[in-house]
Amino acid sequence: MNIPLLYELVGVILLGMGLYSLVVYSHPVRKILALNVSGAGVFLFLVAAADRTSGPLPDPVPHAMVLTGIVVAVSATALALALACRIHQVSGTAPLTDNEPE
Amino acid sequence: MSLNDILRPMNLPAWIISLPLLAAVVAVVLPRTGRWVSIFIAIITPLVVFKLCIEILVHGALQMQVGGWQAPLGIQMYADGLSAAMLAMTAIVISCSTFYARSYFSAKAASPFFWPLWMFLWAALNALFLSGDIFNLYVTLELLGLSAVALVALSQTADALSAAMRYLLVSLTGSLSYLMGVALLYAANGTLSIKMLATVGPASPSLPAAFALMAAGLIMKSALFPMHFWLPPAHANAPAPVSAVLSALVVKASFYILVRLWLMIFEPFINPSTAQLIGMLGAFAVIWGSVQALLAKRLKLLVAYSTVAQIGYLFLFFPLSSTPQTAHTAWQGGLYFVFSHACAKAAIFLAAGTVIYAFGHDRINKLHGIVRRMPVSMFAFALAGVSLIGLPPSGGFIAKWLYLNAALASGQWWWSGLIILGGLLATAYIFRFFSRAFSYFPEVVEGRPVPKIMEWTALALALCAIFLGLTAPAVTELLNAGKPF
Amino acid sequence: MENSLNYAAIAFDGVLALVLLVLAWQLLRSPNLFKAIVLFISFGLMLSLAWIRLKAIDIALAEAAIGAGLTGALFLTALDRLQRREENDREEQDARWKSQEKKPIITTEASDQGLAAMIRKNKNHFFSRPLQTIAAISVLALTCILGWTVWTLPPFSDQMSALVSSNMPISGVENPVTAVLLNFRGYDTLLEIGVLLLAAVGVISVAPSAVMRTGSSPSPILLLLIRLLLPFIILVSGYILWIGKYAPGGAFQAGAVLAAGGILLATAAVRFNLSASKAMPLATGIGLLIFLLVALATMIICGNYLQYPVALAGTLILVIEAAATLSIAAVLVRLFVGVKSDTDNPAPGEDSQTLIFEEENTIK
Repeated sequence: MNIPLLYELVGVILLGMGLYSLVVYSHPVRKILALNVSGAGVFLFLVAAADRTSGPLPDPVPHAMVLTGIVVAVSATALALALACRIHQVSGTAPLTDNEPE
Repeated sequence: MSLNDILRPMNLPAWIISLPLLAAVVAVVLPRTGRWVSIFIAIITPLVVFKLCIEILVHGALQMQVGGWQAPLGIQMYADGLSAAMLAMTAIVISCSTFYARSYFSAKAASPFFWPLWMFLWAALNALFLSGDIFNLYVTLELLGLSAVALVALSQTADALSAAMRYLLVSLTGSLSYLMGVALLYAANGTLSIKMLATVGPASPSLPAAFALMAAGLIMKSALFPMHFWLPPAHANAPAPVSAVLSALVVKASFYILVRLWLMIFEPFINPSTAQLIGMLGAFAVIWGSVQALLAKRLKLLVAYSTVAQIGYLFLFFPLSSTPQTAHTAWQGGLYFVFSHACAKAAIFLAAGTVIYAFGHDRINKLHGIVRRMPVSMFAFALAGVSLIGLPPSGGFIAKWLYLNAALASGQWWWSGLIILGGLLATAYIFRFFSRAFSYFPEVVEGRPVPKIMEWTALALALCAIFLGLTAPAVTELLNAGKPF
Repeated sequence: MENSLNYAAIAFDGVLALVLLVLAWQLLRSPNLFKAIVLFISFGLMLSLAWIRLKAIDIALAEAAIGAGLTGALFLTALDRLQRREENDREEQDARWKSQEKKPIITTEASDQGLAAMIRKNKNHFFSRPLQTIAAISVLALTCILGWTVWTLPPFSDQMSALVSSNMPISGVENPVTAVLLNFRGYDTLLEIGVLLLAAVGVISVAPSAVMRTGSSPSPILLLLIRLLLPFIILVSGYILWIGKYAPGGAFQAGAVLAAGGILLATAAVRFNLSASKAMPLATGIGLLIFLLVALATMIICGNYLQYPVALAGTLILVIEAAATLSIAAVLVRLFVGVKSDTDNPAPGEDSQTLIFEEENTIK
């Protein structure tokens, strides 16, 4: 067990934890938090994998991927939060109950 | 530096992606120009796309390295017959819907935001169909998902916003799952290029895991049963041109990626029963979607559930292509479903939007005899319905016929039963609306006049669906360029 | 000496890994959303430490600024809006919060408007107990399978880092991450800036107004802080942008720092109306615009999309990064204001057009 592998596994566990919370909790802010935690897990896995090079320097391509991922995550989080707030404003609730139009 | 030079074959993919993207930026920076810039791009981009199609028909698949960097260092763009056909389908549907939207939104306040989001959606689709790099596909998927969600939310009703939220969460979960698959593939193979991954060596345990993750993510985004729950509210509550594009194109994009990855990388290494499992989910989708469509009280909801059903057909590609002799037929059948459903479903959604524009609602049992008010739209609906049911000479018929051939030739006769059953159910739910619309009723429902362009774009798309059936040889010719079989 | 350094490193990493997992567990399970978000911010900071341990300094910078800082701020403002009552009365709310400290946890949750009914029925879980356990077991199984897959991954190939190193001299920069981000895989970055702009448009379309109001005039401490910090922030941002060529840094980190300055301004203003600013649309769009124009120019003039001529590569990258920094900052500020902004015009979609583009930015 070397350092990168440790972080890779931590990343996988984070992914699982986030997935569980995403499914089980109903409050949209919790779901968005869960997605962020899962995302952090995936990024951790990527960067840890990048550190598994044989030389002293890590592979920069996963670093670029994770930077891109962080920016995409914040964009998505902002949109999700804006939507949640707007729903709360319009209908007085912040739910994802089955509002199937009938 | 002539026009010919600028539009060299090597540059065409970049133009196809950059034109809508440029329109989007201009629409953001100068909001009042959004409308006519989009119309301008809606006219020019299809021309460039057709040039690419001709180029590929004549010279075969096109490959280009962005930035001049060879793979695996740089990003590859890959355009074969399949990409070209998808791009053409996208161009036709979005172009028609753009003209439709111009009239549909003239009274609404949402228009300053609509055009940039619309162009971003188009750019995302084009970038997706031309990409040859799995991480680049992730970025395009996110671009696509976020713009689709924002477009759904434009309706501003409580239902639309909730539907958009649900769609967003599912979309993000799907993307994350896909990204984890990408990460696994890169960690195991050191490259992000699909062409290079196609030569990947003996099966390591990472391959099935990566496939499972990517497939799960893409299936969520394609709304395959049981991950379909987000689709009906989202497509039913979005503005009409948005619903058209969502059902016609956006759900197909993730299916396209799945097919690409399956054919180029994963197929040799995955257990064939996985394909049967995916097919089973497709079967459930067909039945469940059709039944729900029969029960729907609103027209747009009926059409949205019909999308759920038709997506089920798409995924029958996987089991039907498992035997070598039927693989090509199944592939063509699946793609024919993609194209004809795109045109037909877009036409139906546009027609439904016209109904809402005229009458203010889309409750089916209150829409008696509207054929007298809007004959063109109802004719469009009829033609599109023909394609959805799968009657000759439409594109839908060709697709089902190819699938039936594949099913019987590979000895998987149970799928043919499903296809026939699906056709019957489709007939039922199409006629459910039909009989009302065409019924004779002494009092004609009151409604406001509809701009001609809205009706005629719907009809144009419906004619495309029929046209696809008539020009099958030409389409197959295009698909054959660079085909994987 | 060597050994003890090694042990120290392993111990540090072990503890850090544990801290990350415990923080994540706590933040996901905490019944109090405010606590969860604060834990999330600390989780982000711990993650930055992990990035440093994994030699990813650029990411550490970005994570601290964007991942922990900005995302945390977004969450806090969203939570504030979600938990606010119609009266908008802060004192009343504070008193309520204080009295709820002593009540059982479920009541605190129930103060989330509208969720009250659902939550009283079912705590804050979506599923009943048995389904929860099924979900837990399946996720556990999936995680174990994935973990085993990761354990048995083949050795990492050095091909990519070798390729990057050998091509660095012609990339125009000396920081390998910047080279990958803006040259080798610049197309991804182009699309990603597009995603940012798209999110800004999306948030604007959802938030009916971009007017932020603090109830009272800002505290003098805050104003002093801004007067001291803002020039420094701009300087630091410029420095990070410039240094990105040679060392960890670059457009995203610089943009995030600049955005922090913008957000400070926004929180300190009595009335901060972004929607009317003529400069905002240009500021948000300039990054993507410049990037696209450079890409198209290289295609038309030099022959290949995004292929910079070697002599100009460094300059082009700097130009693109500068525009991107401005854009990223503008978009991040816009996202923050979009999530935070309160509306005086509740009618959905109605006045969005008139609200965009009538402005005055008043800071007393």
